[in-house]
Amino acid sequence: MTADEVPAYAEGTGLAHATWARALRDGVLLGQECSDCEHVLGTPKSVCPACSGRSLVTVRLPTSGEVFSETTIEVTPEGLDDRYQVAVVDLGPTRLLARVADEVEIGDPVVFDGFVQYEDLPGPRFVAEPTG
Amino acid sequence: MARASIVGAGMTKFGTHADETLAELFAEAALPALDDAGAGPDEVDALYFGNTSAAISENDTHLGPKAASQIGLAGVPTQRFEDACATSATATKHAVAAIEAGLHDVVLVGGAERCTPASGLDTDEMTRVFASAASRHYEQPVGLTFPGVFALLTKRHMHEYGTTREQLAEVAVKNHHHGSLNPRAQHGMEITHEDVFDGPLIADPFHLYDCCPFSDGASAILLVSEDAADSYDSTPVDINGIGHASGGVPLSEQSAFTATRAARDAAAEAYAQADIDAGEVDFAEVHDCFTGAEILATEALGLFEDGEGGPAVADGRTALGGEVPVNPSGGLKAKGHPIGATGTAQLVELTEQLRGDAGDRQVEAPTTGAAHNLGGEAATTVVTVVEARP
Repeated sequence: MTADEVPAYAEGTGLAHATWARALRDGVLLGQECSDCEHVLGTPKSVCPACSGRSLVTVRLPTSGEVFSETTIEVTPEGLDDRYQVAVVDLGPTRLLARVADEVEIGDPVVFDGFVQYEDLPGPRFVAEPTG
Repeated sequence: MARASIVGAGMTKFGTHADETLAELFAEAALPALDDAGAGPDEVDALYFGNTSAAISENDTHLGPKAASQIGLAGVPTQRFEDACATSATATKHAVAAIEAGLHDVVLVGGAERCTPASGLDTDEMTRVFASAASRHYEQPVGLTFPGVFALLTKRHMHEYGTTREQLAEVAVKNHHHGSLNPRAQHGMEITHEDVFDGPLIADPFHLYDCCPFSDGASAILLVSEDAADSYDSTPVDINGIGHASGGVPLSEQSAFTATRAARDAAAEAYAQADIDAGEVDFAEVHDCFTGAEILATEALGLFEDGEGGPAVADGRTALGGEVPVNPSGGLKAKGHPIGATGTAQLVELTEQLRGDAGDRQVEAPTTGAAHNLGGEAATTVVTVVEARP
């Protein structure tokens, strides 16, 4: 999780959804780190929820983590596939909701692997970490 | 000192109401609430009305004046509340505050909602409407649904505490039993553990009978000040505390996760206002949108220690006749869950129980009841303490 690997269009503070989504489509998982208390967020905010600081620097999030919780959704909203698995992924400094491509369980290692899309909005996709 | 008193309560049977407008449906709960109190429309100073989804599902907005006009209240101030599934509990909170502040003396509070396929949208369309309460930009694109939200919470709870699928199923079996004793319940039939396990999966660990149904229905209560309550026909009950808190969105960033922090904060606030502790709660109506949600709720309310909610239901401690009956109405699970009507429907049940008018599902001589109404991904929770008069 570093600030110097952030795409030029996202550098600095004030990450907005549009830029977060653009980066996700580019294969880059962006988040924010609070300059004051080092709290990390996987989804952009205007104010740090931990310390109320407003200097939230755009950073790259870790791209590997561990399944914190998961479920396979069988009854899905109109416009989505009939069955898929979602997981809350523990990335270490924060947790992030993602689609997962493989049958994973709590505690399994997973890695970032692009995005899924619904109504023109992208969401992160993770896969089981390759073994060996 | 009560914050406000309930002098009238009414609700429709929950189920399918495909042939009525939302305003007509609301009238079927509001007029019985007024009749219960012996109050005419000319005595009502304001309407606080809850509806969650009609803007999306029925292209129907600005519902307050429409509901008011249907029941002879045209002219009074009215407003519509939307806080996902906690909609009419937040309406109640604001009505109570308005009475305390002297803004209004007599307030009708309630909600109406139509979610069944018969009244409009198919299951996948309504699943999309429900999912609109999740983060539009960080959860909907991933495909999170509301069964999915509570499945994530519940599977983590199972991982941390060893909560079992059998304990989840017992919530459904218990609440269906309670619902079988409630003539207004959508599901009046008893079910078995096998019925739960044999049902289709919705979002694991939840099978069909782990989930509340899509419902149409309405509910209403008439609120007045404590001092004015004795002048009505009914036996008043007192709202002595309402706590209200929000949790972070998205769910993944909620620090406490299975603890549902908002519910704990709301409960602590409500108990403090009422000057009680959790041990004084005789029974509770909780937001059992899914079986796992009831277990989390009983722990958040402090009825059981963390991790003990599952064993408690399996041991019958939350059944009618147990030490603290939970969802004697059948809960959302069996009674039904017309979203914007659920909060005040819980208060209708508390009122009838505290009056001793609950018939076959009567809790034994309760004096203190709690309602736990949750909205979204545990992102809004309202806890209300209602007590019988000494």
